[in-house]
Amino acid sequence: MLFKNTTNEFIKIVSKPRSYLGLGALTLLIGLIIFAMKADGESMVSFVTATFEQTLSFNGKLVNGNLIAFIILQMLVVHIPLLIALVTGDLISGEAAMGTIRMLASKPISRTQIVLSKFIAGAIYTLVITLWLGILSLVVSHLVFGAGDLMVLNSDGLVILPEADILWRFGLAFCVAYLSLLTVATLSICLSAFAENSIGPIVATMAIIIVFTIIGSLDVTVFDTIKPYLFTTHMASWRSFFEDPVPFDDILNSIVILLAHIVLLVGITLFKFNRKDITS
Amino acid sequence: MKKGILTGLLLLTFSAFGQDAEKVIEKINTKLATVKDYTVNAHIDADIPMIKIMPSNAKIYFKQKDQVKIESKGITILPKQGFTELNNFLSDKSKYTAVFGDSLKIRDIDTRLINIIPNSSSGEIVLAKIWVDQKNSVIIRSQVTTQTNGTVKTDYKYGSQLSYGLPSELKFEIDVKKFKMPKSVAADINKTSTDKKNTKTKQRTKGNITITLTDYKVNSGLSDSIFKDKKKK
Repeated sequence: MLFKNTTNEFIKIVSKPRSYLGLGALTLLIGLIIFAMKADGESMVSFVTATFEQTLSFNGKLVNGNLIAFIILQMLVVHIPLLIALVTGDLISGEAAMGTIRMLASKPISRTQIVLSKFIAGAIYTLVITLWLGILSLVVSHLVFGAGDLMVLNSDGLVILPEADILWRFGLAFCVAYLSLLTVATLSICLSAFAENSIGPIVATMAIIIVFTIIGSLDVTVFDTIKPYLFTTHMASWRSFFEDPVPFDDILNSIVILLAHIVLLVGITLFKFNRKDITS
Repeated sequence: MKKGILTGLLLLTFSAFGQDAEKVIEKINTKLATVKDYTVNAHIDADIPMIKIMPSNAKIYFKQKDQVKIESKGITILPKQGFTELNNFLSDKSKYTAVFGDSLKIRDIDTRLINIIPNSSSGEIVLAKIWVDQKNSVIIRSQVTTQTNGTVKTDYKYGSQLSYGLPSELKFEIDVKKFKMPKSVAADINKTSTDKKNTKTKQRTKGNITITLTDYKVNSGLSDSIFKDKKKK
C-alpha cells in the first residue's frame, strides 16, 4: 500500500507544471553559467589567482570541465532549495487547500503511511533534481570545456587536485548535496503539515534557510555554539570532498546532523499529521 | 695628499674587482650563449604555504633570447621569475655593475659571491647576488630582489649538461608573505570565527619549488611557431 501510495504521490508531482519549473530553471541557469564561463572564464579565474600571481605563474588548463562543474555546484546548491521547496512545500498543504486531504485520509492507509509516501515521493523528486544538476554540470561542462585538474579556493588557501583524483569526489559530493537538499525537502514537508495553503510553507522554508545561513556566516563568537547544530552549516559540507586531505570525520559529523534533522522533521510531521483535524 | 692617494687606491681596487667580477659573468654568458634552444622534461614539486598541489610534470621549451613555453597536461605552478630573467639581465653589461663579495662553500663547491647592482633604479631588478663556481663558470646560487615579486633565492644543481651551463635541478625559495585570500571568494561556512583566527597564526612566509630537469635536447633547432601558440596549450 505504501508503494502504491508513493507511486500516486509521485504521479501527482509529475502532473504539476511547477515540478518542471525546477528542471527548466536549472537547465537555463547552467546554460547561462557555461556560456558566461566560455566567454569570460579566464578573467574570472585570474581574479581568484591574482593574489598568487605576483610571485607565481599558473600553467596548464585552468578553465576546464571540472572547474565549471564545481562552480555550478557551488552557485546552485544555494538556490536549488527554493526549487525543491516549491514542490515539496505543497505536498500536504496543497491537499488541504484543495480539500482532497479528507479523501486521501479515507483510503485504507494509515496517516503515517500517507506522510511517509509523500516524504518518499519528495525524496525521489529531490533525487531527480540532484541527478539533473549532476548530469548538466559534469557531462555538459566536460563536453564544452574538456577535462583537467581542479583548482579550488577555500579559506585555507588554494587546493589543486589532479584530474584522476576528482570524479569520486564529485560522486560523493553529489551524495552529500542530495542529503542536504533532502533536509530542505523534509523541512518544507514538515511546515506543509502545519499550513492550509501552499505559499506559507515555501516562503517559511526559504526564510528559515536565509536566517540560518546569515547566522552561520556572521563572523562573531556569540553564534559559535549554535552554528554546528544548524543544518545550513552542513549544507556546504559537500565542498569538503575537495579538500586535501578530505576531512572525513567532519563530513561524517555533517551527515549525522543532516540525518538527525531529517528524522526529527519527519517525526514532527508524523506527530502533527496524525493529530491534524481534517474534518473542518 | 695621503687621503687623496688612499681614495685613489681604493677606487682602483674596486674597479679592478669589478672588472674581474664582470669577466666571470662574461664567461657564464659565453657558456649559456652556446645554447641556442632546448627542450627539457620538468618534474615540479611545490611546497608553498596556502597552496596544496601534487607534484606535476611539464615540458619546457626555450629559445634564445627569451622565448619560453611551458607545456603541461595538468596545472603546474612555477615561480614568476627565475628561468630567463636573471640570465637576460646578466647578458647586458651596460645594465649593472658587478662587485666581488665573500667566498662561500655551497654543497662542497667553492663559490664566490658577486653582487650585481643595477645602474638604473627604474628597472625590475633591485639587487641581485650570485654565487659562482668559477671553475665551471656556472651559477650555484642566486638571490634576486625585484620591485614586484620580493626576493627569490634559487639553488642550482648541475648534471650531464654542465658543459652548457644548464642545471639538472632548480630549487626556488620564494617570498609568500604577500599572499592574501580574497574573503568574498574564500568564504568557508563550516569554519567558526575561532578556527579562522587560529589559521592566521600558522602561516609560513617562505615557499619552495623544486624543479628536476631531465632529458635535455639542446640545440635541436626549435621553430619559432612553437612559442606563438602559448594560449592554445
